Amino acid sequence: MIPYVTRILVKSVVTLFAIATVTFIATRLSGNPIDTFLGDGLTTEGRAELIRYFQLDGSLWQQYLAFLRGALSGEFGLSFVDRRPVTEVVGDRLWASGQLLLASVGLTVALSIPLGILAALYRRSWVGSAVMMLAFTGYAVPSFILSIVMILVFSYWLNWLPVVGNATFAHFIMPTIAMSGVLIAALTRFTRNAMLDVLGQDFIRTARAKGLREARVVLRHGLGNAGVTVISVIGLQVAGLAAAGSVVVESIFSWPGIGQLLVNAALIRDYPVLQFGVITVAVAVVIINAVTDLSYALADPRIRLARS
Amino acid sequence: MYRLMLTTALAAALPLAVAAQEITVGAANVSSYLDPGRDHSNVGSQFYYNSFDTLIDRDHSKLDPEWVPALATSWELIEPTIMELKLRQGVTFHNGDAMTADDVIFSLNRMMQATFPPYVVRAKDRLANFPMAEKIDETTIRIHANREEPLWETLISLQQVMIIPEAYTKALTGDPEVAEDSDFEAFALAPVGTGPYKVETFQPGEKLVWERFDDFWGETAPLERVNVVQIAETASRITALKTGEADIVTNIAPDQLSLIDNDPAMKTAGSATALFHVMIMNQNHPKLEDPRIRQAMSLAIDRDALNEALWLGKAVVPSTHTMAEMGALHQPDLVTFEYDPERAKTLLAEAGYDGFEIQFDTAPTYYTNGLLAAQAIMEMWANVGIKGKVNVQDQWSGNDPEMMARNWSNPMYFADPFGSFGVMWAPDGPSQSEGRFNTDAEYAEMWDRFRYSTDVEIRKAAYVELMDRVKADPAVLPLYRPFESWGMKNSINWAPMPGHIPYVLDFRAGSITLVGS
Repeated sequence: MIPYVTRILVKSVVTLFAIATVTFIATRLSGNPIDTFLGDGLTTEGRAELIRYFQLDGSLWQQYLAFLRGALSGEFGLSFVDRRPVTEVVGDRLWASGQLLLASVGLTVALSIPLGILAALYRRSWVGSAVMMLAFTGYAVPSFILSIVMILVFSYWLNWLPVVGNATFAHFIMPTIAMSGVLIAALTRFTRNAMLDVLGQDFIRTARAKGLREARVVLRHGLGNAGVTVISVIGLQVAGLAAAGSVVVESIFSWPGIGQLLVNAALIRDYPVLQFGVITVAVAVVIINAVTDLSYALADPRIRLARS
Repeated sequence: MYRLMLTTALAAALPLAVAAQEITVGAANVSSYLDPGRDHSNVGSQFYYNSFDTLIDRDHSKLDPEWVPALATSWELIEPTIMELKLRQGVTFHNGDAMTADDVIFSLNRMMQATFPPYVVRAKDRLANFPMAEKIDETTIRIHANREEPLWETLISLQQVMIIPEAYTKALTGDPEVAEDSDFEAFALAPVGTGPYKVETFQPGEKLVWERFDDFWGETAPLERVNVVQIAETASRITALKTGEADIVTNIAPDQLSLIDNDPAMKTAGSATALFHVMIMNQNHPKLEDPRIRQAMSLAIDRDALNEALWLGKAVVPSTHTMAEMGALHQPDLVTFEYDPERAKTLLAEAGYDGFEIQFDTAPTYYTNGLLAAQAIMEMWANVGIKGKVNVQDQWSGNDPEMMARNWSNPMYFADPFGSFGVMWAPDGPSQSEGRFNTDAEYAEMWDRFRYSTDVEIRKAAYVELMDRVKADPAVLPLYRPFESWGMKNSINWAPMPGHIPYVLDFRAGSITLVGS
């Protein structure tokens, strides 16, 4: 187990280093912050003065080394715009994004596992078909379309739900559904397929032959063994959600999280915020992946043994 | 399900219920910092007037400048280059400090003798004629100019010289006796002024809350509290207005106006922004050195058609680089820019244009409708025989010698041609320093007369000469003044005032009323 954990840690560090480097290069290629956030009308001399002030006058290599040195000592610099440490700027937004992510994962697990089991058990009836149709539809609708349609129906026409911010429980409803829509669809399909695979196995027939109750057969023996597949899909999809889903949904619903912050920082080329924001999301993704890998091992001793 | 919806809707509505005299503004953008000195962005300009004062103000309900006392009660020129101002007594900053002559001198000299680079940049382009301000006694100060100044009141009422507290600012970081760069940076997150609303909460890029300042020296603010929240997405802003989460929303595009206007509970207010979207052309690009080619590039563009197609006819297409806000210097009869495709063809033939490709750079989203305008311009160029190509890139190319043409904007930083053309196209100004615009001694002399003459007629005549130069050897074509709209509930009486620079959210007494309060 220890070599397995060590390997995951090394892999995570290498991934983070690669992401930090790519982010650094990508931000520098996208344009100069001096041109965007200070507006039109700077003289060349004025621009040069500001470039010096914001310490953007070194070569890319020098800037990169300074960035790495800072990162290793936990110093990620100040936002170009509000001149606060980026750790503070991003930290302020972490909890809001975390809440939305947890709500989305909670809703996904709560809905898609029962729906997947239902679709597997009733695969030849209308119940199974209906669940799968919903799942395919959900998978095909991107979160920004789902968001705009929900806003139109539940806010613009019916005036039932608020659209701005995260002040109350009601504020969570639409963003959570928008974030988890695709995830619910995906996980429902995977749960169904995994259950179908498992339910066709000999040991299930044996369990039934022993006279166990159907609920126990399905939940204990069926879901228990389908769990590895389901966990892997949850891990992958949640990582994707943390990385990309929040950017769109948070912008649409003015959710004060990291996604919205990253969009703003990208528009005005606030490099330090963008770099640290992406690294923070990357850390979240790496942690989720690592936890998923470890969960595999815990859920299935064969994996643990094979990998060690 | 219905019950759940109803319950959650009620839960949502409770914290949103607004007391009388409290409004929420859904803004497309909320500033990441609040410092009137260094800021001249469209985002920041929304917020300063409610919290800060200048020494001299103007009646913003009028298009023509009418100067009114603010933190100075009177002012006079005691010499052609020295203005003496008497300070208002009994003025209090939001932190409780009394405003003194020292605070005023500190505020003025933080710009006029700037060392903080963001201030240096702003001071150079508009306050360069003012070397310093000095305190005479506790109620009197003097501002010195290098040369006779035709725009005293205009420049002393700029956002950049709004008054801030000296002791508070210096004590924000480091040595409390010294104004360090870090003090000004800290101030931008904890701003303090003398205006009718104090900043109660500021979450950069997210939220700003103003509270009525009871010790304001002037007429009490009409609102107790104003919440400004960032709602970046247009659909969400309009919906927030409809659901009651916002009372006013900013930046509504022309094609979205009918959504609001068709709702009996909501309305819109708008105006042509005091800012030009322009096309710039590189005078020094080897292929564009012949001015006839650039004249043709300009004459081929049907700006009225762009206005109709992109702005539903609500934008303003100028005949020269002028705006109605410029008062006596507004010259609407002057024709510098025209649509004349036949003349464009003739000029191209005369110049021996051989069909080489002219690249037009644009960022994908920086200017509203910028990319669409660029694409339409390519069609218009094609109609006269110019082979054009749109190049979409985020990177600013105005300082690239290879740049041939691109979009840009010329805002009106203050209500004078000097505040727009005068800043952007000054000798050694932004355009020349980037190497795409040439001036000579003759141009500098004209610009000098236009900038510094104290005789309005001489200034106007000099401006005509400058425009003749622009026409003969074009480097810029103002396309239009974009149309900007705000949406609001019917219960709000508010509209942008003609005397302000673009985008100011003025909620002072006389600027906004709520029906029933």
